Amino acid sequence: MPPLAKIILRRLALGLLTLLLVSVLVFAATQALPGDTASAILGRSATPERVKAVRERLGLDRPATSQYFTWLGGIVRGDVGDSLVAEQPISQLLGGRVVNSAALVLVAALISIPLSILIGSLSGLLRDRWFDSATSLGSLALAALPEFVIGILLIMLLATQVVHVFPAVSRVNPNEPIWSQMNMLVLPALTLVLAVAPYIVRILRASMIEVLESEYVQMARLKGMPERIVLQRHALPNAVIPAIQVIALNLAWLAGGVVVVEYLFNYPGIGSGLIDAVANRDVPVIQAIVLLIASLYVGFNLIADILTILVSPRLRTGLQ
Amino acid sequence: MSDQEGKSPFDFGQLREIASSKRVTRRRVLQGAAAAGALAALGPVASACGGTSDSGTSASPSAASGPKKGGIIRAGMGGGSAKDTLDAHTATNETQITLQFQLYDSLMGFDEQSKLVMLLADTYEASDDATEHTVKLKSGLTFHDGSPVNADSVVFSFQRILDPKTASEGAAGLANLKPGNIKKVDDLTVTFVLDAPSAIFDEQLAYYNNAIVPVGYDPKGMDGAIGTGPWKVTSYAAGQQAEFAANPDYWGTGPFADQLTLIEFPDPTAKLNALLGGTIDYANILDSAQVSTVENTPGFKLVESKTGGWDPFTMRIDKKPFDDVRVRQAMRLIVDRQQMIDQAYGGNGWVGNDVYAPFDPGYPQDLAPRVQDLEQAKSLLKAAGYDNNLTVELNCSAATGAADVQAAQVFSQQAKGAGVTIKVNKVDPSAFWNSGNYLSYPFAMTFWGTRNYLAQAQRGSLPAVGTSPSAPYWGETAWKDAEWQKIFDEAIVTTDAAKRNELVSQLGRIDYDRGGYIIYQFNVMLDGYSDKLAGVVADAWGAESASKARYNLMYFA
Repeated sequence: MPPLAKIILRRLALGLLTLLLVSVLVFAATQALPGDTASAILGRSATPERVKAVRERLGLDRPATSQYFTWLGGIVRGDVGDSLVAEQPISQLLGGRVVNSAALVLVAALISIPLSILIGSLSGLLRDRWFDSATSLGSLALAALPEFVIGILLIMLLATQVVHVFPAVSRVNPNEPIWSQMNMLVLPALTLVLAVAPYIVRILRASMIEVLESEYVQMARLKGMPERIVLQRHALPNAVIPAIQVIALNLAWLAGGVVVVEYLFNYPGIGSGLIDAVANRDVPVIQAIVLLIASLYVGFNLIADILTILVSPRLRTGLQ
Repeated sequence: MSDQEGKSPFDFGQLREIASSKRVTRRRVLQGAAAAGALAALGPVASACGGTSDSGTSASPSAASGPKKGGIIRAGMGGGSAKDTLDAHTATNETQITLQFQLYDSLMGFDEQSKLVMLLADTYEASDDATEHTVKLKSGLTFHDGSPVNADSVVFSFQRILDPKTASEGAAGLANLKPGNIKKVDDLTVTFVLDAPSAIFDEQLAYYNNAIVPVGYDPKGMDGAIGTGPWKVTSYAAGQQAEFAANPDYWGTGPFADQLTLIEFPDPTAKLNALLGGTIDYANILDSAQVSTVENTPGFKLVESKTGGWDPFTMRIDKKPFDDVRVRQAMRLIVDRQQMIDQAYGGNGWVGNDVYAPFDPGYPQDLAPRVQDLEQAKSLLKAAGYDNNLTVELNCSAATGAADVQAAQVFSQQAKGAGVTIKVNKVDPSAFWNSGNYLSYPFAMTFWGTRNYLAQAQRGSLPAVGTSPSAPYWGETAWKDAEWQKIFDEAIVTTDAAKRNELVSQLGRIDYDRGGYIIYQFNVMLDGYSDKLAGVVADAWGAESASKARYNLMYFA
């Protein structure tokens, strides 16, 4: 077996173990929360008899461990189960939300990653010139602001107070695909871009400066290579390596961080679904969403590690 | 809203009421000034006092210029949840009640001034002994699917409500009714025979959970959600949004718009942003900070509904220390009611006097307003054996109202002045109603909508009686009082309204003297809307926490 495949397999096994641990932790946490699904469904009319009837109907009267293993057995068979409160399959309940969140994260990633690589390397190249100073100032300021503040500022600027160009809330029509309602994505995606980009810009600028001062770049320049080739072949690939890890972390953050942004814009994604599920103590739905986010974390980190290996000659050759 | 003049002349008596009102808020002053200066501002002022346009069957807004037809009304409301349904008989939260209003009607209902009116019923009659209640339907009514509304649908609807499997809250008020005692007389007439007499059975017929649905009704999602309301559902995503088309055969007034979209907002700020950004035309129940934003933004208006809804403190009279009436009286004297409204509810409320059902014709209007009196409270507590050392735990939660935790905190501050330590225990909203919590707390909070006295007492003060095992019991104060019970038993069988009102007034006096509730305020609800929208009316009724916006009367000017 090639060494890279071995690494991937080992990491995948570790990832599965992580997910299993996450599911145990989340299940334990939901058991520790006050109240349960039955009383959340019944609300004020939760008389003891009614609570008992609903608990029996939903199978909540069984011991917690048996509930957990029933759920785990379903997952192993590829069945995420049914929502306790909506009483329909989770795949059906969350399908639209997953697509919406994925669209949001994808759009945010597709804009923020190339854009911040470009801006970061440019400001590294143009170190201490006006472009670099402006970028540094801007990215520092943005990095200091929490994403909901950025979102509120964008809403005031572009939707309610100054100009009315984009909708202030994302009234996504659940009956139509998200791709036909792209204007609903603008402000949430822009918020995520502005929240993520500063970190990538800063790491790229720093590593670009470091690479440009390295001996191999000086060597290349001394050899008389054209500056364009120096940058393309020697500087940029090496400068991007530390950025890959940061990008992966930020993508993983995007998957979880959408919760706040979705809430702010009333965007119907997994974030608002998670909030609703926690309020309802809907354990299978909580598990499904948390595991989805956790597996994205594991997945993005794995991809970042593999990419790092592939683009660093030393690591790549070290495998053989 | 000058376009409303034609159908509803402005009531100057109401303007005087504003001017003479003891507490004149900044908003009311502003509105008063605007009313004096510009006719265009009359709408919000007038409707702020309880509605100016007639609705229902009595008036046709087509007089004068008449409302324009067409358009899509997009309205934002508080957030529901994936667990919501469109079931006509089980709505309990704001979102579900609002959705239900669009789709269904009860036999009777409450109008904007909280007066009992006929909806699907044409006539209602009670026998002299108040055990037989006969309802005759309006003729020619149809459901959304075109099937006729007849005696069979009424019998089916009430049997479904009484079925424990439905778990309808409507059953709570129908404890005296056995499913077999709902009798079809002819195609349009039904007689309800009660096990025990009730002179207020008509109020149960008007309860929003007792809506009329077709025989065989069993909605799954939006399929089968068929009623007689002004709107037919065309799409529904629980916890997100619902779309409706106008019901062309609606028996009442309107609807004037072609479509209605109700969008759910878990975050009140997002709802306000949606209104200001033009994504929605109407936003219900704004919080106090948002009101001034809407007020100061050109192009938007407010409608103020003075309701009989209340979020009281509940003292269980069977638990220490509240089993001593002097402690209850002292606690009531500790509250600075106006300060509570100003600080916890941003001024959106009107002062309560520890007696519920303020719109009941029998409400004791002549009772002296209870004001803060810390010295009197201290001496009452001393007589009860507490000398600056009473410590109680107040259980509160956002489950009863968004600002109720703040109210508990303000109360705790006020109590310090009388040497009472109130520990505010904030309970998770999902856990507040659990058994072992809500109905066991000696000292807590709750919320109720607008009801008349006897109906409210049946739900909140009396133990569940009769035949329906599914009837939930909400005896938060464990109320038990021999004198009160005697008068109540007489009132509930008294069909003569004047006599009954007098008895209700006596009951209110007992509550005022020794009841277990601290009713410091009644809710004022403010909705914001774009000035493109006309025909907006205030509503004194306000179900539980929902504002009963009548979208069928609204139109685009």
